[in-house]
Amino acid sequence: MNWFQRLSKTGRMEKELDAELRFHFETQVVDKIQAGLTEAEARRATRLEFGGLEQIKEDCRESRGTLWLVSIVQDLRFGARILAKSPGFSLTAIVVLALGIGVSTLAFSLYNIATLQFIPVRDPATVVRIQRRSPENITPSVPYASIAYYRDNAKSLSAVMATMSAAPMVLNQDEQRVSGTFVSSNYFGELGGSAAAGRLFDAALDDANSAPVCILSFRLWQRKFNGDASIVGKAVRLGGKPATVIGVASEAFATLGTDDPDLWLPLLQHSYFVEGSKSLTDPKFDGTILMWGRLAPGVSTSMAKQEMLSLTNQLRRLYPTEIWDREYIAVTPGAHFLSLEDGRPVLPLVGLLVLLILAIACANLGGLLMARGAGRQREIQLRFDLGARNLRIFRQLLTENLLLGLLGSIGAIPLSYCVLRLALVYSNAPSWMSAMPDWRVLLFTAAMGFVAALVFGLLPTLQLVRRKQNRSLWHQLVVCTQVGASSVLLILAGLLVRATLHTLYSDPGFDYEQVLSIDPGMSEHGFVPSSAKAYLDQLQNRLQSAPGVISVSMARNPPLVNRDVMITGISVGGRRIMIYPNWVGPQFFQTMHIPLLRGRYFRAGENNAVILSESLARKRWPTEDPIGKQWKNGKDLVVGIVGNTRAMELNNSDATEIYYPPNDDVLPDMSVLVRTAGDPNTLSPTIKSIATGIDPGLFPTLIPLTAGFRKNVSQVEQIATIVSLLGSIAIFLAVVGLLGLVSYSMSQRTKEIAIRLALGANRIEIITAVLRQFAWPVLIGLVAGVAITAGLSQILRRALYGISGLDPLSYMGAMAILIAILVLAASLPIRRAFQLDVARILHSD
Amino acid sequence: MTTPSKFDLPQGTLDLLILRVVALGPVHGYAIAQHIQMISKEALQIQQGSLYPALHRLENKGFLAAEWGPTETGREAKFYRLTAKGRTQLKTETESWERLTDVVAMILQHPLGEPS
Repeated sequence: MNWFQRLSKTGRMEKELDAELRFHFETQVVDKIQAGLTEAEARRATRLEFGGLEQIKEDCRESRGTLWLVSIVQDLRFGARILAKSPGFSLTAIVVLALGIGVSTLAFSLYNIATLQFIPVRDPATVVRIQRRSPENITPSVPYASIAYYRDNAKSLSAVMATMSAAPMVLNQDEQRVSGTFVSSNYFGELGGSAAAGRLFDAALDDANSAPVCILSFRLWQRKFNGDASIVGKAVRLGGKPATVIGVASEAFATLGTDDPDLWLPLLQHSYFVEGSKSLTDPKFDGTILMWGRLAPGVSTSMAKQEMLSLTNQLRRLYPTEIWDREYIAVTPGAHFLSLEDGRPVLPLVGLLVLLILAIACANLGGLLMARGAGRQREIQLRFDLGARNLRIFRQLLTENLLLGLLGSIGAIPLSYCVLRLALVYSNAPSWMSAMPDWRVLLFTAAMGFVAALVFGLLPTLQLVRRKQNRSLWHQLVVCTQVGASSVLLILAGLLVRATLHTLYSDPGFDYEQVLSIDPGMSEHGFVPSSAKAYLDQLQNRLQSAPGVISVSMARNPPLVNRDVMITGISVGGRRIMIYPNWVGPQFFQTMHIPLLRGRYFRAGENNAVILSESLARKRWPTEDPIGKQWKNGKDLVVGIVGNTRAMELNNSDATEIYYPPNDDVLPDMSVLVRTAGDPNTLSPTIKSIATGIDPGLFPTLIPLTAGFRKNVSQVEQIATIVSLLGSIAIFLAVVGLLGLVSYSMSQRTKEIAIRLALGANRIEIITAVLRQFAWPVLIGLVAGVAITAGLSQILRRALYGISGLDPLSYMGAMAILIAILVLAASLPIRRAFQLDVARILHSD
Repeated sequence: MTTPSKFDLPQGTLDLLILRVVALGPVHGYAIAQHIQMISKEALQIQQGSLYPALHRLENKGFLAAEWGPTETGREAKFYRLTAKGRTQLKTETESWERLTDVVAMILQHPLGEPS
């Protein structure tokens, strides 16, 4: 019989074992009778010789090698019975654990979807992302000239793909713009995409004379064209340029990276759709063209990296100025939603928050187990008295804890599934993202339950087995963990809530409420500086005379609604200052209500002048008068100082700004800003008709700055909501745990308290004595919590919107809440203590 | 533990003795004990408490196979016999036992080994 047969045929083996030993016994008895003993004597003698029959059987069973498993099954069965016998305890423990584990499962599921799971493309394991790196520089993009060189020469890559996101485009005459991505013609083929209608891009598009085409995303096809297949073959206008829709990508098609566009265009036709674009021909082009590859069969990423490095060194000969010193190429797995690098600053923070919740849940479990252990003392003692070995009982209790952990994990999975499902739907996640847990999530959840049960079940169990009465150290540890972890979460929640309020209610340094931004989108439509200037002049003049308009100006980066944030920098005394540059018209500061502190505004047509924000002026010339000073290269003179603003990034209160007059290069990129007397939305039809009336080929976007403000704020609000939610879970768990603990330790000392009362002690003194044992752990927990948060908040600083990571109000507030909860948790059992019936308790035994 | 053995059998020796007895032909547990006792002229008393765990261990290791069959008195008993694997095991065990006793004897009989 092999091991499995021995395991499965236990019943038969038991019967045989019994029969075998019985045969031996009976034969021995018969022999003894034959030797002259009476039957009774023979039986007695044989029984004595045999010794413990059960012991022999147990030793025989042990040789089967299946005993450990059989006894684990026994333990589990017994554990399940014990848990079922006290449903209140079991349910509390399972809910507490499920909450704690559920939060970490949720976080891990998100992490799993974003960075561990492959996106559903053909043969995802060989898809790689290719990026330029050097010791000094990091960029996600590769110039097209280099991509073409790598594509033609790399033997380690069987295919090279390129993608480039376009600025939002006007589709036909629609108000709402669509997002587009330019892709190389092999993109769909390499990723194994299929068409819901028509066909996808193919190599025929690489012909320079091929007609302009586009492919719709399934989503856009449904939204705009109601899923009508007759759109295939029809022409649409994209940014005014006609193009034929040749197909619709299937709903399941997954794009590389986080890009999720409404439509795709051939990269080789970039200069047709974006007039004047040099993205493909200029080796200096620094727009973001992303490079992807597919590893040739049998090639590893490190082999590919090596070959790319040698190709880069050859490229340096072609473009000596464009290739960096010591440049190398990073080849990383490409078929993931996010790469590990993307989440680096956030990941440890989220991980820590989640572990804090788990720690609180675990501490609760520890407290519960301990309180229950006291009630089981008698049962355990009985089992020892019946001859059970220490190890056997320890294992039995541990099995019980693990069973709890397992049940907690099982409860955590639907919890995390529901929240994740909601989150995916709410955030419009790509359709391939599924909330269904895969093996990694299941394994992680099980492991978390295992660790939780093991770590926090171990000590109470050990104490139970060792039959020790003193559990105050464990008490204190549990309280300390709970208080510490809860205070971190509460303080962080406080900081983030305050940060949100700060963004909402503090002065951003300018007045955005009645300002409308008009982005004519000139550069996308091939406007050159002269035509842009003519358009801008005409638009500003006409707007100026429109009724309800107070002032009009223009800016390269309109506050709050700018698409991308530009940052430049200077070094002052070896320290680098980050500066937000902007190119603005003379009326900009009046339009935005940014106060002029010194000097003057720009004059119309003025060049070689700059205006600094006060913060920048102070950093550059801390002691001197900056007016009239030369800026940087000596060409530009400082003519004025204006107030600080948080126009570019609301979360950056230390922002410094520099303003230039518009030069030729930036004119096609300018937006016009209009301050209106009333609600800007009521004026927007008028303004729109003025803007389109000048050049019908343009499709200006009108956005009130309040919309940009709301968008900015909503991001902070989301983070604050999530952390507050975690904070409330923490509070809930902490209340449950602390309440239980204090009640338990009061109940342990009921008799002592009663005696003291009977002897005339002051009730307050007694309560203080009971609570004193918690004072130190609470204090240590609070201090540790504050220290951890202070350290963490440095990571959070940029999200904290002008709040210092050490904002005293948040800290004090969190402490106050926590202490209030502790007092509450303590007061309920204390009230019970006050109502003690001293006489009855003292008579009870 | 009513009749303490006259010897303490060295670890693993019982297994060897069992294998040796079973090698003579299919035999049940009681007969094995009787056999060893008889051959050793009552010097060795094999207790049930060690005999049966050893038999089961050897069976589970695949050295012995067991079948139920009638004894000469007509009762059903579990008869053990040696497997091919058991035969090899018996051979190697016997050889190593002989080597061990030879070596031990050699050392004990060596004149220089005696305490002066």
